[in-house]
Amino acid sequence: MPTEVIMPKVDMDMASGKLAVWHVAEGETVKKGAALFDIETDKAAMEVEAPASGTLHHILAAPGVSVPVGSPVAYIYAEGEAVGPAPAAAAPAAAPAPAPAAVAPVAEARSEAVASTSATKPEAVAAPVVSAPVMAEAANGPRATPVARRLAREDGILLAALSGTGPNGRIQRHDVEAEIARRKAPAVAPAAQPAPSAPAYALDWTPQAGDLHVTTRKGNGVPLVLVHGFAADSAGWMALERALPRDLPLVRIDLPSHGRSPLRRIGGFAELAKALVQTFDRIAEGPVHLLGHSLGGALSLALADIRPRQIKTLSLIAPAGLGPEIDGAALNGIARASTADSLAPWLKRLTARPDGISHDFAKAAMLARIDPALRAAQQELAEVLFPDGVQAFDLTAALERVTAPTLMVWGRDDRILPWKQALAAPGGVALHLMRGVGHVPHMEDPDAVAALIGRHIRA
Amino acid sequence: MNAQTHIKEAGSKTREMSYAEAIRDAMAIALERDPTVVLMGEDIGTYGGAFQVTGDLVDRFGKDRVMDTPISELGGAGVAVGAALTGLKPIYEFQFSDFAALAMEQIVNQAAKLRYMLGGEAAVPVVFRMPSGSGTGAAAQHSQSFEAWFGHVPGLKVVQPSTPAEAKGMLLAALEDPDPVIVFEHKLLYKMKGEVPEGYYTTPIGKAAVVRVGKDVTIVASAIMVHRALEAASKLAAEGIEAEVIDLRTVRPLDRETIIASVKKTGKLLCVYEGVRTLGVGAEISALVAESEAFDYLDAPIQRLGGAEAPIPYNPDLERAAVPQSPDIESVARKLAKGEV
Amino acid sequence: MARDAQENLPFAIRHFSPEALKEALRKMHLIRLFEEGAEESYMRGLIHGTMHLSIGQEASAVATCMELTDADKITSTHRGHGHCIAKGADVGRMFAEFFGKETGYCHGRGGSMHIADVKTGNLGANGIVGGGLPIAVGAGLTAKRLGRDDVTVCFFGDGANNEGAFHEALNMASIWKLPVIFVCENNKYGMSTAAAYATAVPNISDRAAAYSMPGVTVDGNDFSAVAEALHIAIARARAGEGPSLVENLTYRWRGHSKSDRNRYRTKDEIEDWMSRDPIQRFRAELIAHGVLDEAGAEAVEAAAKDAVAQGIEFAKAGPAPAITDVTKFVHAEAAA
Repeated sequence: MPTEVIMPKVDMDMASGKLAVWHVAEGETVKKGAALFDIETDKAAMEVEAPASGTLHHILAAPGVSVPVGSPVAYIYAEGEAVGPAPAAAAPAAAPAPAPAAVAPVAEARSEAVASTSATKPEAVAAPVVSAPVMAEAANGPRATPVARRLAREDGILLAALSGTGPNGRIQRHDVEAEIARRKAPAVAPAAQPAPSAPAYALDWTPQAGDLHVTTRKGNGVPLVLVHGFAADSAGWMALERALPRDLPLVRIDLPSHGRSPLRRIGGFAELAKALVQTFDRIAEGPVHLLGHSLGGALSLALADIRPRQIKTLSLIAPAGLGPEIDGAALNGIARASTADSLAPWLKRLTARPDGISHDFAKAAMLARIDPALRAAQQELAEVLFPDGVQAFDLTAALERVTAPTLMVWGRDDRILPWKQALAAPGGVALHLMRGVGHVPHMEDPDAVAALIGRHIRA
Repeated sequence: MNAQTHIKEAGSKTREMSYAEAIRDAMAIALERDPTVVLMGEDIGTYGGAFQVTGDLVDRFGKDRVMDTPISELGGAGVAVGAALTGLKPIYEFQFSDFAALAMEQIVNQAAKLRYMLGGEAAVPVVFRMPSGSGTGAAAQHSQSFEAWFGHVPGLKVVQPSTPAEAKGMLLAALEDPDPVIVFEHKLLYKMKGEVPEGYYTTPIGKAAVVRVGKDVTIVASAIMVHRALEAASKLAAEGIEAEVIDLRTVRPLDRETIIASVKKTGKLLCVYEGVRTLGVGAEISALVAESEAFDYLDAPIQRLGGAEAPIPYNPDLERAAVPQSPDIESVARKLAKGEV
Repeated sequence: MARDAQENLPFAIRHFSPEALKEALRKMHLIRLFEEGAEESYMRGLIHGTMHLSIGQEASAVATCMELTDADKITSTHRGHGHCIAKGADVGRMFAEFFGKETGYCHGRGGSMHIADVKTGNLGANGIVGGGLPIAVGAGLTAKRLGRDDVTVCFFGDGANNEGAFHEALNMASIWKLPVIFVCENNKYGMSTAAAYATAVPNISDRAAAYSMPGVTVDGNDFSAVAEALHIAIARARAGEGPSLVENLTYRWRGHSKSDRNRYRTKDEIEDWMSRDPIQRFRAELIAHGVLDEAGAEAVEAAAKDAVAQGIEFAKAGPAPAITDVTKFVHAEAAA
């Protein structure tokens, strides 16, 4: 009898799981306990181990398919066992996740709204983060207060595209005002010198093919993999790299739509994490030390959760994903800024000592972001990850699960992510709260951060 | 609250007095100014009135002008209506507004309608004073709030002063008014003290007062509820919620403009009134806002806090539970302000 | 009753058994002690609101109810504790009502002014002066229509005789010859206003003439005189001859309510009436006619004292109504 491989229940309220990727191909041998496939739930991706040793046959669920919990997805035949006929494929999950189907009409409705407004008024693409109750209402029109309806009417906003924060998903005044503010956000930045003719940012950008961009520094021993934050790139590690031991091998990954990685349309945090995991799987030759900053911290946490055996130590600098609060205005401001002048004020928010951000520094930072398509892609990503200025993903549970020794560094003057989110860390995490430091400790005090990491990875 | 803003011909000086004393002061001024003014009512003479509002006026003005009537509300109210119709200006005191139920015929069918029925050839400038409201342990028949009853009758004006200065100014305004006016005096306010301008002045009928300015939620309240709303508002202010409190002051005619302007500003409305919630004053205010241009400014369903759907009970805890209290107002206003309603 | 030798005895001594007379004395003491107990409880803060005491009027209440059975009805007034006890109510449940308890006659919803005990035929005290008059006429109409011989006694005060409702009620009872006895307890003041000032006729019983019914004024502090007047009126009512008006002249020793400052009565007047205490008068009468001796009278009073003490304890121990029950009793509850 072959061993049945089932879709396991890995989350309390999980009824079905989406098969993300198979690590073993049909007909290949697998050892009990080895990674067999990944599943994706609403909250995280999860690696499933092989329940037996043998040869994998009868793969019933292709990547991307949702399978009810407990249903078989494949069979493992013991060595020498005769391979029987293929069993019937598992029925897809009875209730497919509503989001993909529901988002489509919204996107259509949305484009109508865009089309109906003046062509000179550039429109950001709607965040497809629409809660289920609101979608259920959508058939009969969304639930909204009179003032929300009036403001939406006056500004040409389609209510169905908004997510209501009131009782039963009711759209209230501030929901519409937030959308209006989002559209007019560049005006928030100090008077810039706008480019004479082009709009402040481009709407259109085309997704690109290709793997994430990876650069390495050779050395001896276990490498340190670096994952940068939102709107940053691998160049941002430079100061820290100089302070780290010279012979420490480094692997820097540019996130999608960042640095020299291709522009990609990302539907959510899990998808972004998946992109990172795929790249990691491609390049990893053995266990590594992992370091992430801000959004890169959250992604590193997810990676450590998904590939626990591949991570020797984990270091997190002001990681995202540990609380709802985030300075959404600053993220938007940085993503949108089209000149050094409009970028500088937002950069100043990153550090505890704003006067450290010179005009030249801003100019250099802007140069790295000169491509309008990259900025547009990042704006869209910000909307997806931080709708309404809130962190839409929560990694506190992942942090609880991580087994690798974990270091967390946070600046007490961080104005982007409040350091108190660090208190979500379980007791085993080594927590360092740095005085006089903001959101970018590795730039503000690279020597101190390098010393902490050096000690951590040696221990 | 600044009563001065509503004063006409007021003396410059003020004096601290209770709500009851302010009403007595108004009646004394009226008796002195106008020889046609008479006070009528049960035990308003030597006894001084059930709530000691008329007090010593019988000693100052004599039994002919401060007249004890038999315990005959129906007859007494009728005598007052007839006197007003023929040239006197009577102020008829009910011991409790509840007893006006005995006199509804004279108030509703006669006083309110004579001018209309006689094609404008008659006037009934009578004032009915009605001690009302709960909180005194007087149970079901001595604690009611009938503002909506009388507010439902065309031909009547209905006022509910909430402070001593308003009580005096509105009673004098009622006497000046050529039509019947019903003055509801909340019994729990009688001992409330406040600065009252000396001399003759009137507080206009039909004008509400914004007694606290705020931006997050509008609370429209009347009589004792104004004070409860202000208490709630000051607690909310500590949480950063700024409630705007409107003292309704007149139930009929309602001051639409003040209410609508406030709701357009805050987008949230809470009506607080002691009368039974259903078909009460707050229902009318809610409806007028929903019908007005303020509708397009509403950012939450309109909320009402009113009396329970029960007679006023005797047990003190039940009695308190039967009408809105400050924590009730605070809780609903907070939810409104936070967008949780 | 051909008992010529007894013709000079007071009506009550002739007419009632010694046991009934002793019970009457006990009830009079009970009323007095109940109201004194209520007054003390009020001062101790155990009672909410106000109350209207009938101390000094006990003979009127008890003598009026002497011949009534539980099938006979009464309607009462805001000064109704005496009527209630005379008609057979339990003082424990009355105190419980005063204390606002669920165990009170009205489950804490009515208080002093609305105590009723329908089982003993008490249709309830009424907070509205004259409020009970039309209700009593309605009860009389029911008895007549159903062919029953029970009667309704309608208590009211001198103040109510100037209410429109009084006139309307008497007129209707008369034209329909209903078995109603209108008993006016004329204690001289409607709150502060003297009956003599407020009433156009010298005696309230004179009003009877306007409605074509017998009217009699008796000394309301003379137990026997009241009982005799009621005996005649009840007999007339039971015989289907229609209503009567009996005016019991009496006096309340206390003010109108707890807020009365007694500015309208002189001290002399109050003391004069207090010297004519109806209870002591009746007690002396019973002793004089050998119905009981001093020791017996003491025993009757002691029994009443016990009942009041027990009643207060019962009331204190009772549960308060549940706050969530604030709307309970607004409608009949669905059958379980």
